[in-house]
Amino acid sequence: MITLRGVLEGLRSLVDGMGVTGRHMVRPVVTLQYPHERPDAAHWGGPIELVTFPETGTHDCIACNACARICPSDCFDIEGRRPEGAKKMRATKFLLDFSTCSLCGLCIDVCPTDTLRYSSRYDDAAYRRDLTVNDLLAPFPEDPSFAGKLP
Amino acid sequence: MIAALHGILARVLGDFGATLALGVALILGYLTFNVLFLIWLERKVSAHAQRRLGPMEVGPHGALQTVADMLKLLSKQLVTPVATDHFTFLMAPILIFVPTVCLASLVPLGPAQAFADMPNGLAVVVVLSGVTVIAIFMAGWSSNNKYAVLGGMRSVAQVVAYEIPVLLSALSVVLIAQTLDLRELVNGLPVWHGVPLPYVVFEPVAALIFFIGITAETNRAPFDIPEAESELVGGFHTEYSGMRFALFFFAEYTNMLVLGAVGATLFLGGWEGPFVGALPWLGPVYLLLKAYLVVFLMMWARWTFPRLRFDQLMNFAWKLLIPVALVNLVATAVVLGLVA
Repeated sequence: MITLRGVLEGLRSLVDGMGVTGRHMVRPVVTLQYPHERPDAAHWGGPIELVTFPETGTHDCIACNACARICPSDCFDIEGRRPEGAKKMRATKFLLDFSTCSLCGLCIDVCPTDTLRYSSRYDDAAYRRDLTVNDLLAPFPEDPSFAGKLP
Repeated sequence: MIAALHGILARVLGDFGATLALGVALILGYLTFNVLFLIWLERKVSAHAQRRLGPMEVGPHGALQTVADMLKLLSKQLVTPVATDHFTFLMAPILIFVPTVCLASLVPLGPAQAFADMPNGLAVVVVLSGVTVIAIFMAGWSSNNKYAVLGGMRSVAQVVAYEIPVLLSALSVVLIAQTLDLRELVNGLPVWHGVPLPYVVFEPVAALIFFIGITAETNRAPFDIPEAESELVGGFHTEYSGMRFALFFFAEYTNMLVLGAVGATLFLGGWEGPFVGALPWLGPVYLLLKAYLVVFLMMWARWTFPRLRFDQLMNFAWKLLIPVALVNLVATAVVLGLVA
């Protein structure tokens, strides 16, 4: 049954609807033009990386394997050597298989020297599985602790 | 410049031929531009209604995106399914395209400009816009595809139903103006303190019904069940590809502009506006601005309202729009009789 009241209420609801979309039309857009505009990723947790300490100018990984032991998905492949005359080990190989990493952060919590942290990288896409293995020592130059001491 | 071109053409084609060729070239040129612009506008309106940006990459603010799309469509293969009715299948896009171009030439652009002057222009507009429904049904039936047939049948039922309220609401304006000539309709605008008043002031209900009617006649949301993508794939143009599909698209967007312009002429005062008397070139500008305003409203509605169900659509036309339009027409006649 079509009543005058129903028609008028229906018309009002249509105008209300147009009002909603109309208001959205003049509001700022939320789209990020991705390749041209980048999001602020400073607080995002990406694949882990080694911290560079300002005092030493390098990382402080002692190859203790605590992260490798606690890792639930077995992402790590770490090797270390003791430089001659030093007390602590230094990492010589630090590989993270990011394809199995679940970003749980247990390695960051357990690290005794606090040298692990989340990076702010978010665009590590790759075409081959072996490219997802991150070499965390790659950004660092030759380790000064080993200068001239490695065979 | 146009006069010089006309002179050169007239040597080859004769006077009438040259006028025809130039007119068709002008209309088709503008309509092509219009379609490219409207598709871009549609995408922008839809984007901003959802707080997106829409096309941004090709040209400034994506202005050339539709040009790229058209070039793609031009280069595509024309697929003709084996089981189609070939002649009808090929004729349908042409038959939907030609009346829209004819319609475009009928709208008076200003006090002195129109491509084709018809003493009964409004009647011809109504007749020509009725032809497109035959083309849509031809396309749907000849495709030999169940979705296309359903889309075509829905379209026929819908356009036939919604043509009546459109006609009735246009008639109530004709009653006031006492003419079917679109030019005389605008020339005879009632004047109040020296300001010509558009007919929408006297016929707001008719204007609303006309707007709803032309939205339904152009098969646009919320009345887009003939090509309801979620139910019918592409509706009547499911089997069309490449430029044949583009012709349907061209016809739809041209129809929007032309019906918008007819609506602007009927209800919004056509080319009339401030300073038209002194600067005649403002006439077409005002008319197009008003037509694009109607088109923008149609787009705005499309991106706001959900699609109607078929029975709701028919109930709305037969049980509400047509009675209201009839009552409005009778009321107009009574008031005019009392005033006169």
